[in-house]
Amino acid sequence: MDEIELVERARNGDERSFALLVRLHERSLFATAYAIMRSEWDAADAVQDALAEAYAKIGALRNAVAFKAWLTRILVNRCYAVLRKRKHDVLTADPPEPEAYTHLGREEGLDLMRAVRSLDLEHREVIALRYFRDMKLTEIAEVLDCPLGTVKSRINRALGRLGSALGSNPFVEVAE
Amino acid sequence: MNCEEIRDDLEAYVFGDLGADRARVVADHLESCPTCGAAYERTRSLIGDLKELGESFAPLERYEVPSAAPRRSPALWGWRLTAAVALIFAGLSVAALAVPAIAQQLPVPVARKLDRLESENERLASEVASLTIELRSIGGEEVPVVQDPETDVPADEALAVQNLAMSFVRAQYAGDLEALRDMGTERLRADLAAHPDDYLRAQGAEVVFAQMTDVALTEDGTYLLFVRLMDSAEWSESQYQENFEIRRVDGRWLVDFMGMDA
Repeated sequence: MDEIELVERARNGDERSFALLVRLHERSLFATAYAIMRSEWDAADAVQDALAEAYAKIGALRNAVAFKAWLTRILVNRCYAVLRKRKHDVLTADPPEPEAYTHLGREEGLDLMRAVRSLDLEHREVIALRYFRDMKLTEIAEVLDCPLGTVKSRINRALGRLGSALGSNPFVEVAE
Repeated sequence: MNCEEIRDDLEAYVFGDLGADRARVVADHLESCPTCGAAYERTRSLIGDLKELGESFAPLERYEVPSAAPRRSPALWGWRLTAAVALIFAGLSVAALAVPAIAQQLPVPVARKLDRLESENERLASEVASLTIELRSIGGEEVPVVQDPETDVPADEALAVQNLAMSFVRAQYAGDLEALRDMGTERLRADLAAHPDDYLRAQGAEVVFAQMTDVALTEDGTYLLFVRLMDSAEWSESQYQENFEIRRVDGRWLVDFMGMDA
């Protein structure tokens, strides 16, 4: 059964199909929320709220193909809502807490995570949507409600900054 | 296209998000320009690392639907069940449980959600208190059954489901894995094979069926039944609960899921 069929079933109230959709998306949703929020507790809270909202509203989703972007938009809005409540978006120097964020990859991944965390919000979010949520440029533009060109330039700039932080900027020879 | 324009498209090219014509232009340029070729390699490597990073995240706890309730968090599951039983008896859709279920099971936190759910639970508890209980003869025993006045499950089907659950529990106390297997669907058999200890109870202990619920039927044809149990191995302990999902497969009643609860 493919994802569209699961979405169709979930729209008709099938709980198990919704649970399978959650299983398919939970990891990347959490990674995305973490990249945006920089707090695993806030991220978990945002994912939790977003999925509850999605469950409540999925019956009203008109186009099953748009599920991924729709769910992502709910998540991003939840993240924004929490960030708005925070008066100061302060970057802590600490790495992700190991009890909540299990890094299963190579050791270099931790350096990369630190570099992502050090980006400002508009760059963290495009990185997360592009590579954690695996979204097309058009989908990201839709989720963030901004022009395609803006998304593209933010991604390029974010990659440049990550490359610089890690000592190899792929865009260093191109003037911005 | 000059190098700057090519670099501008490198990310989309690596991601596979570039139109075919444009991708061909980029590919041709990369073959003839070592500087852009090197930039392409660095971009490809960085994007690969970012994707790998995203896949390295592990959420704190995985979401489960009520039907696949994890045994590892009996307190939460039991808590939810209290609400579930009340809702089923109140004649509400099982699907209506899912939002609080999600709130309970997703990673973390949750004081404020528990607060909200607890107040909801008080209301549900008062509804439960108004329900009637009658003794029914099931599997040769008189068992108190909490009645659901609005159940749409015929009495003979409910009895068959309750009998099966009782036989299942008895086999658990007898340590009869073969009998358990014979009473299960493929799904349950697989879980039984993987985690047999989860199904075995104090061998030879006397078991008391303290209470059962009426049987509820979900839209997908699953029969839900909750059974409160005590046994002689731990008389001093409070009761515990087994939550059954039972299905009819080729005319046979089979246990599809059994979850233990505090």
